[in-house]
Amino acid sequence: MTANSSASLAKSASEIGQSESSIAIRRILAWLVDKVGVLLILGFMILPIFWVTLTAFKPLNTVYSTELLIIPTLNNFRVIFGPAQPIQLEDEYYGASDGFGQYSREDTIGKDMGRLLVNSLIISSVTVLVALPLATMAAYVFSRYRFVGDNALMLWVLATQFIPAIIVVIPFFTLYRQIGLLGTHIGVVIVNLSIVLPYAIWMIKGFVDALPTEIEEAAVVDGCNEIQVLLKITAPLIAPGVIVSAVFSFIMSWNEFLFALTLGRDAVRTLQIGLTTTEGVRGVQWEQMSAVGVVVLVPIFLLSLFIRKNFVKGLTMGAVK
Amino acid sequence: MRSGRLKWFLLAPALIVVFLTTTYPLLSAFYFSLHHWQLSKPDQLHWGELTLDNYMRAFSDSGFHNTVIVTIEFTILSVALSVLIGLGIALILQKESRLHTIVKILLIFPFAVSPALKGYSWRFMLNPEYGIYDQLIDHIIPPLSGTIWLGEPFWAMLVLALSEVWGWAPLIALTFIGALGSISPEVIEAARMDGATSWQVFRKITLPLLKPVILVITMLKAIFSLKMFDQVVTMTRGGPGDSTQTINYYIQQTGFGRSLDIGYASAMSWILVVVLAILAVLYIRFVLRPGEA
Repeated sequence: MTANSSASLAKSASEIGQSESSIAIRRILAWLVDKVGVLLILGFMILPIFWVTLTAFKPLNTVYSTELLIIPTLNNFRVIFGPAQPIQLEDEYYGASDGFGQYSREDTIGKDMGRLLVNSLIISSVTVLVALPLATMAAYVFSRYRFVGDNALMLWVLATQFIPAIIVVIPFFTLYRQIGLLGTHIGVVIVNLSIVLPYAIWMIKGFVDALPTEIEEAAVVDGCNEIQVLLKITAPLIAPGVIVSAVFSFIMSWNEFLFALTLGRDAVRTLQIGLTTTEGVRGVQWEQMSAVGVVVLVPIFLLSLFIRKNFVKGLTMGAVK
Repeated sequence: MRSGRLKWFLLAPALIVVFLTTTYPLLSAFYFSLHHWQLSKPDQLHWGELTLDNYMRAFSDSGFHNTVIVTIEFTILSVALSVLIGLGIALILQKESRLHTIVKILLIFPFAVSPALKGYSWRFMLNPEYGIYDQLIDHIIPPLSGTIWLGEPFWAMLVLALSEVWGWAPLIALTFIGALGSISPEVIEAARMDGATSWQVFRKITLPLLKPVILVITMLKAIFSLKMFDQVVTMTRGGPGDSTQTINYYIQQTGFGRSLDIGYASAMSWILVVVLAILAVLYIRFVLRPGEA
C-alpha cells in the first residue's frame, strides 16, 4: 500500500518534471518560430526594396553581381538625370517596334529624368487638386443628406471602382486623337480622375460619417446656415481625413502606369514610364532602372510614413466601405 | 434644414466627372465593340452597321481562350497565396511587442511600391546569372539551381503571381491583425483553460471569427488580380510564348499594338467587365449587407 502510493507519487513527480521540461521546450520553440518568422517576413518584404536601393548606388562593375560591399556612387543618378543624347546605333535598330506601345524606345546616354519627375509631379498634384474638393463636397452630401436615389448614386460611385482601366483607355484614346489631347498633362489628369475620384469620395465619406452630427446641429441652432456649417464647422473637422485621402490619391496617380503609357506617350512621360526607358536594345540597364526606382520610391515612402496610422483604415474605407 | 438645393450644387460636379470618366467610356466602348473598327484601316468603319462579329471572334480566337485560362490561373494563384501568406504573417505578428511594431510599420512599404517597379525589380532579382533571388534559391534549394525563372511557363506564372503577392500579403496581414485584435482574449483564455491546443484554438475560434474578413479580402483581391496589367509589361511581356499573357495585356496589345483594333479590344474588355460586374455585385451585397448605404 505504502510502497504503491510512494511509487505512484514518484511517477506523478516525474510526470510533472517531464511536462515542465516539455513546456520549456515549447517556449523555446515558440520563441524560435517567432524570431525566425519575423526574420523571414522581413526578408520577404524588404529584400526587393533593399536590393533596388543598393543597386542604385552601386558602381557599374558590381551591378551585375550579388556583391554587397560596395563604394557607393551617385554616378547612376547623374546618368538618369543627364540630358538625353542618342547613342549611335545601326539603322536597323531605329524605329524597330517591339509590338508594344506607340512610342519608339530609343537608347540614349542620359535619360532626362528631371523632366519626367516634373511630369509626374504635375499630373499627380493636379489630379489631387481637382479630385479632392469635388470628392469632399460629394462625400459631405452623401454622409449628411437623405434624398430619393441617394443609395443608388452611392452604389454607382462604388461600382465604378470595379471598371477595368483598359476599358477607360480605349474611348479616351480615340477621343484624344481627334481633339489633340494625346500626350498632354491634362489628358492624363482627366483619365486619372476615373480611378481617384470615386475612391476619394468613399474614403472621405467614411471620415464624415465618423464625425458626430451634434456639433453641426448646435451650429444651426446658433443661427448658421448650411454653407456656414460646411465651411466653418465641418471642413476644419474633416481636414485631417481629407489630407489622408489626398495622400492616397497622390500615391494612386503617382503609381499609375497604363494611362501614362497609352495616353501620355512621349510628350508627357511619367517616372513610371521612365522605368521602361532604361530598357533598350541591349536589355534593361539595371543600375539605371534602380536609380529611377529610388526616385519613384522616396516620395511615396515618405508620404506612407506620414499617414502610417491611417494606412489600413484608409485603404479599406475607400473600398470596404 | 438639410433639404435645400445646396446638396445638388455640392454633388453635381463630382457626379458629372465620375460619369464622364467612368460610365461614358464604358458605354462608348460597348458601342465601339459592335463595329468593325481598326484605326489602321479607317475605311472599314461604318457607324450605321451594328455587328456582333467582335464577340463571335472572341469565342473562336485561340489567343483569347489562352488569356482567359492564364488570367484565371493568375487570379487563383495570387489570391490564394496572398491570403495564406497574409494570414501567416498576421498570426506571427499579432502579439504586441516592440519588434513586431517596427515590422508592422515596414509592412506598408511593399504595397506602396508601384506595380511597374515591382515587375522590374523582381525581373532583376530573378536573373539567372546575377539575380539575388536566383542566387539565394540556388543555395537553399540546390535542385532548382539553373532554373531560368522567366524562361519556363510554370515558373514565369508563379513568380509573376509572387510579385503581386509581395505587395498584397503585407497589406492583407495588416487587415487580419486588425481583425484579430477584435477577438476578445477571454474567449481564447477560456478555451486554453479547457485544455485546447493552439491548433484547436486556431481552427475552432480564430478561423471562424476571421471568416467574414477573409471572404471580403478574397473578393477584393480577386477583382484587383483580374485588373492586373503593369507587371506583365515590366516583368514578362506575356512570355515565355503566351504563357503569362493576361486578358488586360492581350486587350492592350490588340487595341494599341500594331493592328489598333479598337472594335475587338472593346468587345474583349466588355467580356471582362461582365465578369467583374458579377464579382462586384457579390462584393457589394456582402460588404454592405445589413441596411448600410
